[in-house]
Amino acid sequence: MVFPSIEFAIFFPVVLALSWALMPRQHAWKAFIVVASYAFYAAADWRFCFLLGGITLVNQAGAVLVHRTAGERARRRIVAATVAIDLGTLGVFKYYGFFVEEVNGLLERASLGLPLPVAAIALPVGVSFFTFQSITYVVDVHRRLVPPASLIDAAVYISFFPHLVAGPIVRASEFLPQLARPRDPARVAVGAGVALVAVGLVKKVAVADTLAREVVDPVFAVPESYAAPDVALAAYGYAAQIYCDFSGYTDMAIGLALLLGFVFPQNFNRPYRARSFREFWRRWHMTLSRFLRDYLYIPLGGNRGGPGRTARNLMLTMLLGGLWHGAAWGFLLWGGVHGAYLVGERALRGRASLPAWASWALVFHGVVAAWVLFRAPDLEIAGTFFSRLVEPGAATLWTVPAVGLILATLGAQLLPERLGPELRARFEGLHPAALGAGLAVVVVLVSATVPSQGVPPFIYFRF
Amino acid sequence: MDHPAAHSSPPRRARDAVLAVALAGALLIVVGGGSIRGQGEEMRPGLQRDVVVAIGEPAGWVADRLPFDDAVHEATAFLSPDEDLGGGRGFAGRGEGGVPPVRAADFGRAPAPSLPRPPRRLRTLLATGDSLVAPLDAELARRLAGDGVRTVRDAHVGTGLSKSELLDWGKLSRRQAASVDPDAVVVFIGANDGFDMTTASGRTVVCCGTAWAVEYAQRARAMMDVYRRRGAGAVYWLTVPMPRGRRAEVARVVNRALRVAAAPYRRDVRIVDLAARFTPGERYRDALRVGGRRRVVREPDGIHLNALGAELAADAVLAALRRDFR
Repeated sequence: MVFPSIEFAIFFPVVLALSWALMPRQHAWKAFIVVASYAFYAAADWRFCFLLGGITLVNQAGAVLVHRTAGERARRRIVAATVAIDLGTLGVFKYYGFFVEEVNGLLERASLGLPLPVAAIALPVGVSFFTFQSITYVVDVHRRLVPPASLIDAAVYISFFPHLVAGPIVRASEFLPQLARPRDPARVAVGAGVALVAVGLVKKVAVADTLAREVVDPVFAVPESYAAPDVALAAYGYAAQIYCDFSGYTDMAIGLALLLGFVFPQNFNRPYRARSFREFWRRWHMTLSRFLRDYLYIPLGGNRGGPGRTARNLMLTMLLGGLWHGAAWGFLLWGGVHGAYLVGERALRGRASLPAWASWALVFHGVVAAWVLFRAPDLEIAGTFFSRLVEPGAATLWTVPAVGLILATLGAQLLPERLGPELRARFEGLHPAALGAGLAVVVVLVSATVPSQGVPPFIYFRF
Repeated sequence: MDHPAAHSSPPRRARDAVLAVALAGALLIVVGGGSIRGQGEEMRPGLQRDVVVAIGEPAGWVADRLPFDDAVHEATAFLSPDEDLGGGRGFAGRGEGGVPPVRAADFGRAPAPSLPRPPRRLRTLLATGDSLVAPLDAELARRLAGDGVRTVRDAHVGTGLSKSELLDWGKLSRRQAASVDPDAVVVFIGANDGFDMTTASGRTVVCCGTAWAVEYAQRARAMMDVYRRRGAGAVYWLTVPMPRGRRAEVARVVNRALRVAAAPYRRDVRIVDLAARFTPGERYRDALRVGGRRRVVREPDGIHLNALGAELAADAVLAALRRDFR
């Protein structure tokens, strides 16, 4: 079930009303929200509810065992085993096909006729997100940041539908304390919740999907049919599309959680205004960045151990971060390119300085170029895409709506930081009836931009 | 690291949240109840459809009695990426221009061999259909780009010949033929079919009996006739490789209907049998032997072709195109 759908528009008001009605009775509320979240997940494929349940049980068992075990070595083994099960699950569903194809190709080239069995394994929606959240749970218990939760609390934390399928990656230490007592029905951020849902809808449906349809998808499918002006527009268009698609989803997730009384962490903070790659990663998919920092980069040694080790740790972290997005060489290369950016930037720190505008332009275009590797279906098409950037020819896709949406998306991030909150505060202060009417108007306008084929899935649903 | 909006927003009561959401929902029923009903009717059978239809029927009833639905539709039409391609429950291309009627007895006849076309130069190709055509159309465009062929890709995801509420392929095919003026049309559709259809006489036919197959063939034949433009265009209609699971039955009936539909147009319409290529014996499989080793050719959903599958499908389509075009 995706947020911008009729099914969800029916599901959410019912869940919202029942959730607040049951909130004073915590046992009933927790059971209800778990059932609602599993129903939400079952709408994609009910069979994967068993996977979600299995992951919950395994991580709960791991967390409880870690808490009860005294010896540090044994505690580490338990954490390692639990994380291995999480990553193994991810590996089977996400990387098996890629691994088998590559290994069979190698065996074929070496004339060793022992191919591994090939099969098309369906990817459970959101598996990358809920396995990572589960890892934060057991690791945070190991680090004594949180005590192990009850089974029902762990089930609520892992399955809570607003963040279940595409994040943000909410840490156990952020979410579990919110389950300690009923959410206060007198302190609900209604204005912010409705505003974020409305903004998210506009970003996803009116901006991201329009850019995908009009510019990005046609060019990335057949770049050889387009000349430099259109190819460049598609590159900028994809930068705008992926931002609006993913941050739009996140806005909706955070807004829905607020309406239910829960606070999620921020996931995007105007990433295209960054003047360094380090800053970009502090503004883009912030919950994944800090996951990679705290659960991978720092355990690898972080920046302790000299420049060489720091560079290695950065590269490894970014390569694995790239691979987290999917089993394809393009994602790996994208992560590698960002790793190289970060290593290069670190090496040049204090030795070279650029004017602010030049730093911004360099970082922005570095990010846009790397997105090409991320978006292209394969490396051959990525190569063709880059080669067409110097091919003279007509601009066939430069329409006013397409260029306007790209400029608006990128330009809005460069405006002074105070403008956004000021505008949002005005909307948030409206009477609830006006908020509801405003949301309805946004839905009507946004729905009018949907083509006959409907709303395509969010990009990050694939991850 | 909480989202800043969580703390900037003035705190309100939970009932205000319910009120805001409920009011938005009520307003949407008033101005868009008909759409809820229509979309519910075209969902795949199951609990979700039942729930949406249960809400959509009374919502549509309310909307039908108020003037807002049409007013909003007209006021927001300038934002729509499609012109009005919704067709209600009918099929606007049916039975026009002397399209021979399909009869149940036609399903018992063996298909006659196709006839050769005078060789011509391929300049414009239209690749269209539902999501099935999405990876194939790009593959065709890439392979034909070097030959100076303009490939127009027009996929309409989630649509079908038996789903006319949101998109009427009868209307769309005429619009495509007029605007693109293609020398050849590749059609790959059928992933979303299996819905009840209303015949020209107003009778509702249910998948997947003979009456349903006849109506499907009639609709496909009407589209073939539109695309072939009295011999000016060649049509390459691809059969649907068997999907995994119960939907295979729909694909079987669709594929039989396509052969019947093409029967009068032996010179202009070719049935490219991808079902036989990807699912020999009408049995689903993930992988095929390609280049000496088994390779996955289907997406994990068990319906669509993956990139390699699209390459193989493009081989079949290009082979058919080369027989007819220079």
